[in-house]
Amino acid sequence: MSLEEVAFLLLAVVAVLTALAALLVRELVHTIMWVAVFFVDLAMIYFLLDAPFLGVLQLGVYAGAVTVLLLFGIMVTRKRIFSREAATGIGPAPVALAVLTFVFLVAAVGELPQGPTSPASYAPAALSATLFGSFGPWVLLLGIIMLTGVAGAIYLVREGRE
Amino acid sequence: MTGLNEVGFLALSGALVAVGLFGVLTRRNFVLLLIAIEIAMNAAILNFVYFAAFSPSPPAGLAGQSAAVVLVGFAATEVAVGLAIVLALNRAKGTINVAEATELRS
Repeated sequence: MSLEEVAFLLLAVVAVLTALAALLVRELVHTIMWVAVFFVDLAMIYFLLDAPFLGVLQLGVYAGAVTVLLLFGIMVTRKRIFSREAATGIGPAPVALAVLTFVFLVAAVGELPQGPTSPASYAPAALSATLFGSFGPWVLLLGIIMLTGVAGAIYLVREGRE
Repeated sequence: MTGLNEVGFLALSGALVAVGLFGVLTRRNFVLLLIAIEIAMNAAILNFVYFAAFSPSPPAGLAGQSAAVVLVGFAATEVAVGLAIVLALNRAKGTINVAEATELRS
């Protein structure tokens, strides 16, 4: 096994375990900690795939902003930060459905086109040229959706809305 | 050959989607639902990055990475709106348990 393979296997196992831990622990603050580890772990996978810009974006947006936003959401809706969630019984149906989805998704992988055997590395300059060149309309759409999202969020939480 | 093969990546993405689905089906806390959706969304972004890194041509690879960048922005917006809904729900009902939010009007 090559070094990349070992690194990927470790990162993949950590990703699945931290994702499961985030959804199974009872303390919500611990959930946020696990999900932060999950996001950092995915950033490491992006670095492994020679996509440093995506890795930094994952660290900044997910491990940074989204984690703090989720923590904020918990802090303002709880009387005690470390209060525990009520135990929810996990029936066999959700587990079976999740396992079935996983089996279906892996079984649905068909013949993949042959590509290079090592990950291609792209300079951030080339990526930004594509992003603001041929992907310009999508970036514009993203901006419009973000603006709409912010406007909608302000409308939802503004004072005196009855 | 680096040994990074597509089956491993697609299995990881599939497992993350399954974990996200499991979370959506089992948990009743709105913030945890958002986290579960984020986990599933990250699986999709991982697929974009993976196929970009192993795409046969540079333009396709750059397009894949651009799509991943745009998707990260969409996911962040989704969390922002989701947390606004959490705050509104908390103010209207005093709880963020989705099982108790059975009507749209407060």
